[in-house]
Amino acid sequence: MNSGITALQKEFGASIAALAGALAAGHEELFLSELDALMERREKQLFGELRKLATGLQTALLRFSIDSRLVDLAEKGIPDARHRLDHVIKLTDEAAHRTMDLVERSGPLAERTAARAGELVATWQRFRARSIAVDDFRRMIQAMDAFLEATRVDMEKVRGNLAEVLLAQGYQDLSGQIIRGVMQLVGELESALSELLRLSAGSSARRNEASRTDVRRGLGPLVPGIEHGAAVSGQQDVDALLSGLGM
Amino acid sequence: MSKDMKFLVVDDFSTMRRIIKNLLNDLGYANVAEADDGTTALPMLQAGNFDFLVTDWNMPGMPGLDLLKAVRADARLAKLPVLMLTAEAKREQIIEAAQAGVNGYVIKPFTAETLKEKINKILQARAA
Repeated sequence: MNSGITALQKEFGASIAALAGALAAGHEELFLSELDALMERREKQLFGELRKLATGLQTALLRFSIDSRLVDLAEKGIPDARHRLDHVIKLTDEAAHRTMDLVERSGPLAERTAARAGELVATWQRFRARSIAVDDFRRMIQAMDAFLEATRVDMEKVRGNLAEVLLAQGYQDLSGQIIRGVMQLVGELESALSELLRLSAGSSARRNEASRTDVRRGLGPLVPGIEHGAAVSGQQDVDALLSGLGM
Repeated sequence: MSKDMKFLVVDDFSTMRRIIKNLLNDLGYANVAEADDGTTALPMLQAGNFDFLVTDWNMPGMPGLDLLKAVRADARLAKLPVLMLTAEAKREQIIEAAQAGVNGYVIKPFTAETLKEKINKILQARAA
């Protein structure tokens, strides 16, 4: 005899016996009231089961939606984030090299100017002391002409290089925007995982709607290899698009 | 337009604000103020006599597009020249900015030459 039938005997045995007794004795009222009590008990059980089923279904649906969000994050979000961070490395690498190239190009120009000025100082001091020979004076004038012209050219180059160094720092803005995007993704991943944990722990969880990147708020810089839809590839494209609009 | 023109540069990254400010200084514009998003920029524009607005798009608080719309909606600021300087590169965004009344659109990363060219173009169109 299995435990199921034992439980049923225990639960319904008394009622059935009472029912059978009432029927045999022809006690109609007793029979009907016993029957009602039996049916009521059965209905309660049925509703309890239904409630459990509904809760289970709800949990399954919730878990499914979190699972599909996690799958989406794992299949698309995470590789995208890796790609974005790779691009940040590339941006910082390029900016660092560009800056160092410009510094390396400017250093010798400044050194050359300082060295030439140093060469002129000795003769210039003799000239100031009025103890310079005429030939030396002529040579000094020629050297001075050459020095002034060379300094003008060299320092203009240095000035240009410094402006380029400044512009190269724009990587901080671009990479910062990309990193912010990755941080948002990490936040989404975190909330999906913690919801899943809460669900496994049996407590009810409400799904937070992942904040959608909004065109109005801005999407951040383009990252090569990541789908952005119809986008321009540079200033020329922007100009062409705007002139097409009559600007 | 003279070199005394008053610029407002709006960008949430202080490095980018410094870059733009330096480039404007190189172009001879010494009067440059800064704001870190539309929410701080709008009261500054409404309070001070600015002649030119250079703004980023993607900023916390009020984004650049909303700032542009707010400027165009304000009768006293409606004619202010606005140059968008942003990494936002979707065609629909550029079209939206144009429809909102932007005067120029420069995409990041940009060159000093492009910035100069767009500012001059806007000022020439104003003078005409």
